[in-house]
Amino acid sequence: MGEFLQFSVTGLTIGSIYAIVALGFVTIYSVTKVINLAQGEFVMLGGMIMFTFLNIGINYWISFLLTLILVMIIGWLVEWTIIRRAKGADPISLIILTIGIAIFIRGVASVVWGKGQVRIPAFSSNQSINIGPASITPQSMWVVFIMLLVVIFLYILIDKTIVGKAFQACSANPPAARLMGISPARMSSFSFTLSAGLGALAGLAVAPILFPAYDMGVMLGIKGFSAAILGGLGSAPGAVAGGLIIGFLESYGAGYISSGLKDAIAFTAILLILLIRPSGILGEKNVGKGGL
Amino acid sequence: MKLPGVQQTKWTGVAIFVGIVLIFPFVITQSFLLSQATFTGIYVIVALGLGLLMGYAGQISLGQAAFYGVGAYATAVLTTSYGLSPWLGLLFSILIPALLAYVMGYTMARLSGYYLAMATLAFGIIIHGVLVEWRGVTLGASGLYGIPQIQLFGMSLSQGLPYYYFVWTFAIVAIVICLNIVHSHVGRALRSIHDSEIAASAMGVNTGKYKTQIFVLSAILAGVAGWLFAHMSYSISPGSFTLDASIMFLTMVVLGGSSSVWGAVFGTVLITVIRIIVHELGETVPFITSDFEHVVYGLILILVIVFTPRGLFPPIAGWFTRIMKQRFRKNIEQTKAS
Repeated sequence: MGEFLQFSVTGLTIGSIYAIVALGFVTIYSVTKVINLAQGEFVMLGGMIMFTFLNIGINYWISFLLTLILVMIIGWLVEWTIIRRAKGADPISLIILTIGIAIFIRGVASVVWGKGQVRIPAFSSNQSINIGPASITPQSMWVVFIMLLVVIFLYILIDKTIVGKAFQACSANPPAARLMGISPARMSSFSFTLSAGLGALAGLAVAPILFPAYDMGVMLGIKGFSAAILGGLGSAPGAVAGGLIIGFLESYGAGYISSGLKDAIAFTAILLILLIRPSGILGEKNVGKGGL
Repeated sequence: MKLPGVQQTKWTGVAIFVGIVLIFPFVITQSFLLSQATFTGIYVIVALGLGLLMGYAGQISLGQAAFYGVGAYATAVLTTSYGLSPWLGLLFSILIPALLAYVMGYTMARLSGYYLAMATLAFGIIIHGVLVEWRGVTLGASGLYGIPQIQLFGMSLSQGLPYYYFVWTFAIVAIVICLNIVHSHVGRALRSIHDSEIAASAMGVNTGKYKTQIFVLSAILAGVAGWLFAHMSYSISPGSFTLDASIMFLTMVVLGGSSSVWGAVFGTVLITVIRIIVHELGETVPFITSDFEHVVYGLILILVIVFTPRGLFPPIAGWFTRIMKQRFRKNIEQTKAS
């Protein structure tokens, strides 16, 4: 029982990270119909840039803010310099384009920061708290807390503000949105900025646990993408559910079967779920078919 | 009789290409470049399958290295642990990837769009995980040693000139097969799927069947390439069959252009040239390491999609034929004038 609880805690922590990354995918997809496979790279940048700022000797929370802003600028630049110029490309090309962006960012990161892992102090103390037979580090609780915060923030932003209304309009029908004076291009760059911010936040939250390195974005990106697909592409509640499911699958797989096979177990389970529900858990029938 | 819309295989292109392949080892004799050229032949076979899948069936595979790896491991395990002949190994290097692809294809008929990209990505990761963890058979991360060389006419094919010709024989056969497929009714059906799956199925094209067939074919080609790779090297390890390898194959196809068979070949050759240049530069310039290769791949993918989404081969081929035609016309005018 103690084991089970411990695995559940791990699953919840890692699942929350996947959920934030998946929300980044959904944010971009719902407006631009682009799957941004460079999303994991934003997570990596979050961790690595934070490390650099801390290394220079800047205060922890100021570094936190600066990192967030810098990664959002990078996200905006990616949209403005590259994605915008490839408008009208088919979904396959867009996937390939974002893969290109991802390996480019990763390659530059490996030149800038080298290949080693870096260490970043936790938000608060490292003293783990015992709840019954399981122990939780405060950072894990921070991760879950940030995930909940992100969900609430996105809910308010999308459902309660005028920007959110414009966002939804672009998602539902770009030409009609344009007729109503909303610029889909501006919403597209907004979505990339927002999603880069979400990625950076995930990176900042998970950095003290995972020890980021230049290549941490690969798996996080793939898992986040899988979570978005598993939940039903375009559905925000689905993305959160998908992220948590993958987190738990991975954690139980690693604990009860084999830690080396945890990715294979998680992905096999995802493929099986997709066999039963080809459009994801909360997906609508036609979402994501994009003519591919 | 030539029907409108029917494309025929241009054998002159094949003949020129065979000529280049035959002459190459006599022009360039460094053993490093020859082994790179042999690898190019192996990669061409994988890229051909992926090119057909992407350009003609309109599907994407982000896990092609998995089929390549399964092909390599099938023969490596059977020849080292069970002492089978490499030629029997070839049979399994074809059958196992084909079977896997068929099962995948079954799911593919239901999964589409981004869901498929994710499924192939997941497949690649699963296979890599299995290769590393199934230690009883694959010997884990350290890999398999002592893979025997292929025997042909009582002669064992060692690395170098014999293997170069051996690999390129397979590559050229694969090119011819792909050209014939593309120019048959299957190719027309596939192009119609690529342009619009709905329209194609309305015209009576069984889209699921063709997509599965081409997926299986791409897996078979990757498996054969894996077989060639395993018997070229004395040892193999899971490190050769990662996501990076899948992305390298993808880059080859995208760079050359997936809308024609030659595009994949052209892209593969170009990527090899780039790899060699990066390697050479790395020996003199300090910050260029093997990671720098990935920066270059990333840039290539971005630039190609933004500027020439159809790849480099179609515009270059078009430019070349235009120049040839102009020359030809001038010659005719000159002969007329004289």
